[in-house]
Amino acid sequence: MSVFVLSGFGGRFSWQLHRGALLLSVVLCATLCSIIAASLMSGSYPLTIREVGQTLFASAPSDTAKTVVWQFRFPRTLVAAIVGALFGLSGAILQNITRNPLADPSLVGVSQGASLAVVAAIVVFPEINQVWRPVLAFVGALAVAALIQSIAMQRTQGATMRFILTGIGVAAFIAAITNAMLTYGNIDQAQAALGWLAGSIHAVGWAEVWSLSLCLCILVPLLIWAARYMSVLRMGAEVATGLGLRVRFARMGLITLSVALAAFAVSAVGPLGFVGLVAPHLARRLAHSGVGQHLILTALTGAVMVALADHIGRTAFAPIQIPAGILTAILGVPVFLFLIVRQSQTRQL
Amino acid sequence: MTRGAMLSLPVVLAGIALAFAWHIAVGAKTVPLGTVLTALTSYDRTIFDHVVVMDLRLPRAIYAVLVGASLSVAGALMQGITRNPLAEPGILGLLTGASFAVVILVGFFGSVAPVWIPLLAAVGAATTAALVWGIAAAAPGGSTPLTLILSGAAITAFLGAFIALANLLDQESFESLRVWLTGTLSSRAPAVLWWSLPWIAVGLVIALAIARQVTALAMGDETAVGLGVDVARLKALALVSVIALTAASVAIAGPMAFVGLVIPHITRIFVGSDYRLIVPFSAGFGAMYLLLIDIAARMVLAPVEVSTGIISAILGGPFFVWLVRARL
Repeated sequence: MSVFVLSGFGGRFSWQLHRGALLLSVVLCATLCSIIAASLMSGSYPLTIREVGQTLFASAPSDTAKTVVWQFRFPRTLVAAIVGALFGLSGAILQNITRNPLADPSLVGVSQGASLAVVAAIVVFPEINQVWRPVLAFVGALAVAALIQSIAMQRTQGATMRFILTGIGVAAFIAAITNAMLTYGNIDQAQAALGWLAGSIHAVGWAEVWSLSLCLCILVPLLIWAARYMSVLRMGAEVATGLGLRVRFARMGLITLSVALAAFAVSAVGPLGFVGLVAPHLARRLAHSGVGQHLILTALTGAVMVALADHIGRTAFAPIQIPAGILTAILGVPVFLFLIVRQSQTRQL
Repeated sequence: MTRGAMLSLPVVLAGIALAFAWHIAVGAKTVPLGTVLTALTSYDRTIFDHVVVMDLRLPRAIYAVLVGASLSVAGALMQGITRNPLAEPGILGLLTGASFAVVILVGFFGSVAPVWIPLLAAVGAATTAALVWGIAAAAPGGSTPLTLILSGAAITAFLGAFIALANLLDQESFESLRVWLTGTLSSRAPAVLWWSLPWIAVGLVIALAIARQVTALAMGDETAVGLGVDVARLKALALVSVIALTAASVAIAGPMAFVGLVIPHITRIFVGSDYRLIVPFSAGFGAMYLLLIDIAARMVLAPVEVSTGIISAILGGPFFVWLVRARL
């Protein structure tokens, strides 16, 4: 048997699990842990695995090791993993509800909207507290998503293609405004904003870890609850209506959820391209699974991708740090092109 | 040529002349239009305003005219050949490809003689064009507007990431290229202009020569063949022209997106769908448009100067969205 069912509460709750997918999630977890261990060990102050273990779980062998691991490397690699999971989930939701295999928060302007809001805050109101960044990013991203939806959905026929093209146009427009803001702003603030815009994870600390974990804890249960609606919605609006779903509300709610996931990730590390696009496809190709389990696999794949990209970017050309965003773009584009060429096979999500 | 077009020709030329004069007049120091005229007719090195006009403002205005005309004609040809209202050197990745080639070689050799820059840009643009078309053609359903634009956007993101990477690894060589990469008309050495001129001339001559056949192609490949057009040869010539024009404008001004998208559509509103008119009028409107955009770039946030490419994208992005809604 490759499929078995978990059920509880007298059958009120049940979950179909695929053995292959279960195995894969274990493998992905192990990969993630080893990447985290590797990035804790490497850097300009190398540590052995034993020293890392001592620092994390017992008393640190030296003060330097303690500072390096707890202050710099651990929060950074944790943020990379969480952000990857958030982007992956965001992309998976977008792809499911627009029924479009090419949807990605950074391609359709959602990430750019979040970036614009944050850059505007950095440049125009430099005294604003960092705590507001996620909120601003969320508002900006939501505004852009609403704009694209209202433009693209007016004539529903051919909506998916229109959605993507509209998103590309809006993204170019917003990116230009962001650039103009950078020119206008004072050079120090612009410099700070530039590093953030390249999608770099080097400036994060425990504050980001806690805020991102909090948002994971709130949004993921919501997502699990919403997964059943999503699995109906991806059969198409007509079928979903026939099955008794209020399509408009479900779609709006899910898009808001997807935008929220992407926006919080963007507010911490800047717009990381192509993770939301690639992670869901990779998860689907690696193992066959249902909607709920696919979401878990996507989150894990995204986490592995970004953690790996950050690790490579940090160590490959040391002491120069390459923002993870550049690496995810270089790795993501070939996958994207592959998807375009294979579109007919992947159209059915 | 229709009578309406004959009549509007002087209007367009007058518009360019006006925009040209205005472009020279505004800036950090406003020069009165009268002084601009005397500086152009009887140049006097001892008068400060004359030096500003001749050494700083005039080259920039000429760049704007040349780049605007080249990009618009390139866009018009691409739209005609691919029968895709959204085709444009920027959106389909040609500008990024050309910049990528220039950036990588400049990074590799430190600096490159100006004679090679248009050539490098042409090689980059041609390679990217082949890549984007190849990918779009390999997709099921062939090269539709959607697949062309998606593969263009993907290639742009890909090469953009490499440009950013090169930029990070070698900050010093790229200091001078950073502004150029957002599309700007300021601070290019005149030598690049001289070496780009032949490319622009060749591109424009080819574009004008094939304009009549491009009109026939608008009715579809089969009809065009029936009308006696050698379609393969026509497309090859158009591609040569597009690449020459794109390469020259990238060499002068960096990647300046959306000019080639907006202008041909505006031109069609005025002169209809005959490419014998679209090509020259696109050149005229494009020159005027870029002059005006460059004026805006210098004026909106004065005394700070915004990159011309940024203004172009702010205007062009919504236009693209409108086209998607109206035409697809």
